[in-house]
Amino acid sequence: MLDVRGLKKVYEGRQRQVEAVRDLTFTIESGDLVCLVGPSGCGKTTLLKCMSGLLAPTAGEVRLDGVPVTGPPPGMAVVFQEYGRSLFPWMNVRDNVELPLKQKKVAKAERRRLVDEALAAVGLADAHTAYPWQLSGGMQQRVAIARAVAYQPKVLLMDEPFAAVDAQTRADLEDLIRDLWRKLGVTVLFVTHDIDEAVYLGQKVIILSSSPTVVREQLTIDLPDERDQLHTRALPRFTELRGHVYEQIQAAKRGAGTVDEAVCAAEGADDKAVVGS
Amino acid sequence: MTGVVKRVGYAVGLPAVLFAAWWVSTANSDNFYVPPLRTILETFGQLWTLEKLQADVWPSLWRLAVGYAIACLVGVALGVLVGSSRTVRATLEPVLEFFRAVPPPVLVPVIMLFAGIDHTMKIVVIAVGSLWPVLLNTVEGVRAVDEVLSDTCRSYGLTGVARLRHLVLRAASPQIVAGMRQALSIAIILMVISEMTAASNGLGYTIVEAQRSFAIPEMWSGILLLGLLGFLLSMVFRFVENRALAWYHGLRRAQRGS
Ligand SMILES: Nc1ncnc2c1ncn2[C@@H]1O[C@H](COP(=O)(O)OP(=O)(O)OP(=O)(O)O)[C@@H](O)[C@H]1O
Ligand SMILES: [Mg+2]
Repeated sequence: MLDVRGLKKVYEGRQRQVEAVRDLTFTIESGDLVCLVGPSGCGKTTLLKCMSGLLAPTAGEVRLDGVPVTGPPPGMAVVFQEYGRSLFPWMNVRDNVELPLKQKKVAKAERRRLVDEALAAVGLADAHTAYPWQLSGGMQQRVAIARAVAYQPKVLLMDEPFAAVDAQTRADLEDLIRDLWRKLGVTVLFVTHDIDEAVYLGQKVIILSSSPTVVREQLTIDLPDERDQLHTRALPRFTELRGHVYEQIQAAKRGAGTVDEAVCAAEGADDKAVVGS
Repeated sequence: MTGVVKRVGYAVGLPAVLFAAWWVSTANSDNFYVPPLRTILETFGQLWTLEKLQADVWPSLWRLAVGYAIACLVGVALGVLVGSSRTVRATLEPVLEFFRAVPPPVLVPVIMLFAGIDHTMKIVVIAVGSLWPVLLNTVEGVRAVDEVLSDTCRSYGLTGVARLRHLVLRAASPQIVAGMRQALSIAIILMVISEMTAASNGLGYTIVEAQRSFAIPEMWSGILLLGLLGFLLSMVFRFVENRALAWYHGLRRAQRGS
């Protein structure tokens, strides 16, 4: 269980202070797949860094299974938004994926299997010996995803991991994430700009307001667990849900809706009486 | 095939021309101080026998090797320490810049006071003089380690020695190597200078002795050998660098291409 309570982060600059997030409270149950959407610059990356123990919050706290997070907890993997800078340029693809496993003291044969499987899963089975800078942006992003997947984390945090891949690969990777989630029972928090993606992937979608950032709505996605690109996206319920998320984001961008309204909307979501009905 | 021929041609072309020009312009020289190149080359063959190489070149080279190795090791170790901590850096940096600004040859008389005039003195001179570029470049390199890579390491539990080995040293290696390249030329200069002031053997000693006893062709042939050695060492350095930093050159090319 991943618990975020009253999280606030203010960046202290030389002259100015930037309040990246004001007050965030939500809970992610173990084994849940949650998507996080919000306007650009609203503090999604900041939130992820606080949750992964890379950044100390100004106020509030993050708890993983009841234990306060003060540094990167073991068993958590992060896929960073700046994928191009998160791979080691002096190691080839294979070594990049393998290094965290070595650090985790995974036996050699097991390591080999995990790396092969992860790279095959993201469609890079024949790029083992390439260096990251020899790959396209989308391929680099997939290497970073493979590294996180091979690590077999209990919690997987992903910051807009599909931003640089083409639509077809993106669809494949979305299905890969859902597959992995169902097979391995990992807890996933997935940050995205793409509303369709959030609704398609998530069991739950958390919508953030624009700055000053609070949780605008927590929406349960009541689509069937068995999802596929063609049919799920054609469901009337899918259209309803994405329409609702779209409106919320638009409202958040306009800065419309006070905190009170956001709270009302969130309560509405809890009543399951939300959109369209 | 033609590519190789072309590259060899470019590499050998200018030296060959210069050599020919030297040969022709001094061919009939009767200036005592500028003997014909032919005479110098004849002397070169006679002077640098195997025993002479063992007696005078070998001591120079191993003092160079030991002094340079110490400079590289200490420079990288201290550089990592200084580069990793903001407070240490803030306190030490002005002092380090001062030491770097002191021309290394003035160290010779000073170090002679402490370390005498034997091998130790020369090794210390080479090490102390060529330490600074390695140290300061390592500090720069360690400081510039990418933040996202650093976060990646932390979140995958790569800390301590693993972080040093897989992140810090590798990320800083382009700067470290640049520092080592500067240090190598300083070390060669100091090798010669330390032998010119107080020594009973060595390449620098041979050249100064020849000059003092007006053995001009011998002096020139010593300088020629020194030039060849420096050239050879820098070739070796370049070879090792191209291997160790292949990823970096590839990365730079990729960045420029896009
Ligand atoms: N290191 C930092 N120092 C100062 N301010 C920062 C820092 N990092 C982020 N910010 C500020 O905090 C706010 C939130 O940034 P953050 O990167 O978390 O947003 P985001 O939601 O991830 O945006 P995007 O969707 O574009 O990735 C922004 O106003 C940004 O300028
Ligand atoms: Mg972001």
